[in-house]
Amino acid sequence: MSLEHDDVHRVAPDVVVSFLEAVLPFSTLERTTLTEIARHCRIDFFPKGTRLLTAGETELTHLFIIQQGGVKAFLEDDQGEVTLKDFRGEGAYIGALGLIRGTRANLNIEMVEDTFCFLLPREIFLGLLKEQPAFTQYYLKSFSEKVVSTAYRELRHHKVSRRNHEDLYLFTIRAGEVVKTLRKVPADMTIQAAAAQMARYRVGSLLIHSEQDPEEIQGIITDRDLRSKVVAAGLDYTLPVREIMVGPVQRVLSQTVCFDVLLKMMSTGIHHLAVEQGGRVIGVITSHDVMLLQGHSPYYLFKEIRSQASIVDLYPLAQKIPDVVRGLIKEGAKAGNITQMIAILNDHILDRMLTLLEQEMGPPPLPYCWLLMGSEGRREQTFKTDQDNAIVYADPGNEAEGEVAARYFKEFADQAINHLVNCGYPLCPGEIMARNPRWCQPLAVWKSYFDHWINAPEPEELLHATIFFDFRAGYGTVALAEELRDHLTVKALRQEIFLLHLARQCMGTRVPLSIFKNFIVGKDGKHKNRLDIKSQGVTPFTNFARILALKHGIKETNTLARLKVLVDGGQITDEIWTLAHEAYELQMQQRLIHQLQQIEEGTHPDNYIDPAHLSELERRMLKDAFAVIERLYGLLGSMYPAG
Amino acid sequence: MVCWAVCIPPGDRMASILNKLPWFKAPHPLIARNREAFDRFDQSRPLDEYTFVVCDTELTGLNRRRDEIISIGAVMIRNLQIDLSTSFHSYIRPDNLEHTRATLVHRITPEQLEVAPPLNEVLPAFVEFLGTSLLVGHHVALDMTFLNQAAKRVLGATLANPGVDTMRMAQGYRRVLLGQYHQQGESQTGYSLEALSREYRLPLFRSHDAFEDAMQTAYLFLFLLKKFRKGGLLTLKDIYQAGRVGSLRY
Repeated sequence: MSLEHDDVHRVAPDVVVSFLEAVLPFSTLERTTLTEIARHCRIDFFPKGTRLLTAGETELTHLFIIQQGGVKAFLEDDQGEVTLKDFRGEGAYIGALGLIRGTRANLNIEMVEDTFCFLLPREIFLGLLKEQPAFTQYYLKSFSEKVVSTAYRELRHHKVSRRNHEDLYLFTIRAGEVVKTLRKVPADMTIQAAAAQMARYRVGSLLIHSEQDPEEIQGIITDRDLRSKVVAAGLDYTLPVREIMVGPVQRVLSQTVCFDVLLKMMSTGIHHLAVEQGGRVIGVITSHDVMLLQGHSPYYLFKEIRSQASIVDLYPLAQKIPDVVRGLIKEGAKAGNITQMIAILNDHILDRMLTLLEQEMGPPPLPYCWLLMGSEGRREQTFKTDQDNAIVYADPGNEAEGEVAARYFKEFADQAINHLVNCGYPLCPGEIMARNPRWCQPLAVWKSYFDHWINAPEPEELLHATIFFDFRAGYGTVALAEELRDHLTVKALRQEIFLLHLARQCMGTRVPLSIFKNFIVGKDGKHKNRLDIKSQGVTPFTNFARILALKHGIKETNTLARLKVLVDGGQITDEIWTLAHEAYELQMQQRLIHQLQQIEEGTHPDNYIDPAHLSELERRMLKDAFAVIERLYGLLGSMYPAG
Repeated sequence: MVCWAVCIPPGDRMASILNKLPWFKAPHPLIARNREAFDRFDQSRPLDEYTFVVCDTELTGLNRRRDEIISIGAVMIRNLQIDLSTSFHSYIRPDNLEHTRATLVHRITPEQLEVAPPLNEVLPAFVEFLGTSLLVGHHVALDMTFLNQAAKRVLGATLANPGVDTMRMAQGYRRVLLGQYHQQGESQTGYSLEALSREYRLPLFRSHDAFEDAMQTAYLFLFLLKKFRKGGLLTLKDIYQAGRVGSLRY
């Protein structure tokens, strides 16, 4: 109990109030309500080994909230076989379900440590459930928007540090480096002709020079002048442009840093400034140009990527992607949107790179398509995930053509993959890359690969092949990827045994039982001090979506898109959709932020989260996600029963 | 274990005689009730049938003649649970505020004491709160000495409530844990409230505040009592004996 004011006579419930203030869902209540609740609480102590509740026997008169210590929840069958259900520590509650349902305890509870509990009387708890919506939602397990957005906010604020050189671009880049090619017209040109020039050069402003001297800049016109002074006013547009120009033009020197340019714009309210170098105006800088400089603008990066003329210039741009992602996270974007953005930027890097590579190597002998597998195929990459790619090319007409193609694409893939490594995409340790001749094949061979996996599934082989089922076209002749997708979709639809194998495999990934103190607890009661957020938190959702997509002939590869199609088609319920997509997205978010932190600390991003670093809410969300995964496994289990 | 023997003057007539003599003033009605309640005190009932008041006092010093109580904090334990619906906490304006000012080592400021009610208002309220509960404290004899001295002054007689000392309980508990053959190694760590709370990993409160110390003592009391009970000590008498000889059936 810590109260700063010495002049306050403390009342007993303070110990409870200050504790509950930090515990969901009590933290959503007003302080006055909490104080009132606390007055009705009792504090009890249970030595280690005490059996608190017995399933089916104990009548519940209180909600127990653990102040300190820990308990285990378990069931015991007639033969005395014990199934662990949960471990609960500080801030967790005991007995809520029974109180809500008005039944006896549904689990056995035993203290695994010396444990102090707050006891909240049944009537008070049920009253809160009735009167406080946040309470009802919390205990009925469907999280309100409010709780979910709190979780996201918490993730953003606590985990994404401010970076000092964030605004450095503004201080290092000078006006002269940003300036656009100078477009200017004489003052006696008609308004219409000037507008035609703007349209032709796709610019939003034109400088106006005197008829006699092209170097003498007299004014400027912008899109806005055309709109408000000409069109809206019904002005005759055969008049000379001089009539509508604004002059003289405000100027900045080309060596002015962009921050000062921005200051001038903000203080004058003028968004177009002429840039002067050696007494000559060399162009215009706009507020938009300056804003785009702030590194984390995805649009800026997008434009930069598209304008590169050499592959090596793509390397530094690819390295900027984490900055963009960071900006998006800070602005509150959710994982689903962020991974899509990463996919788009990566796609553009690939697109530009392969376009340039084709120019270097000469046109390919046959149409081909660069395939993206695994998380890239699902558009679910986080930061630098391993390369998973392949090439499918059109079936050659004869053997000679085939040999030429194989040689060309091998060379092409070798170079492309080296460039990708230089961009920061690590090699795939399993060699699932286009430079591996096995994964650089004509369409007919690819079809036979999928036929083999689907018709005669070998569990071991299938395990490594799952990422192929998430392929999509990355670059090139998309029709080839589509034909392959159609082929596989039709084949998979009829092959229950193949789907059964996938389902078994998916359920082979054990879901953790709980988070207890700073450990992840497995169903066997074993404690681990790290969580693999990818394989234990994210992959189960991905696997579930893949199996159901293949089962129902859905061609989408993205997990959320697959689930959406499934719910729209009535193959999964709205409830499952809601639970699954919220839990999945939150896990992805957790993973993104974890990796972003590592990148900023200069370590290599991985998927291992230390439970000690999780907040109370994050633990709660994670535990709920485990429960959702159990539900999904339950669905798979009933579709594909064992034995 | 400290148990205050009680001597009640027999009959009304006697009382009326004594009443007339200034040095034999009849006890305050509160005290009369208090004594009556403990006339036939039974130590053999199960633990959860007693109510306990866990109490801590802040003093200006340890000199019995000169020093005074300046704060009383207390929490109630019913059914072996801390009951937060009632608690007691008050500062007390000492007679000698100037002396007090020089000796304050507490979290209490002189300004707080200046506006606090005097002992003759606070003590009856506390005795009322105490009712027929057993008085629990850490090194309870000290609190009891000052409370009784105050009670004699304000109410005319000492309190009859039996006391339970958490320090003695802790000594008994440690003896049990160490086994009877190792009684020499008893004092490796101290028996202060804070040291014990840390040793048993109890939730911690700020020290040197009567109320928070009372809460801390209540946690310690619950801890020890339930540990004893789990070891098979079911009545108050068992606990008293455990404090003396240490005979837990673990």
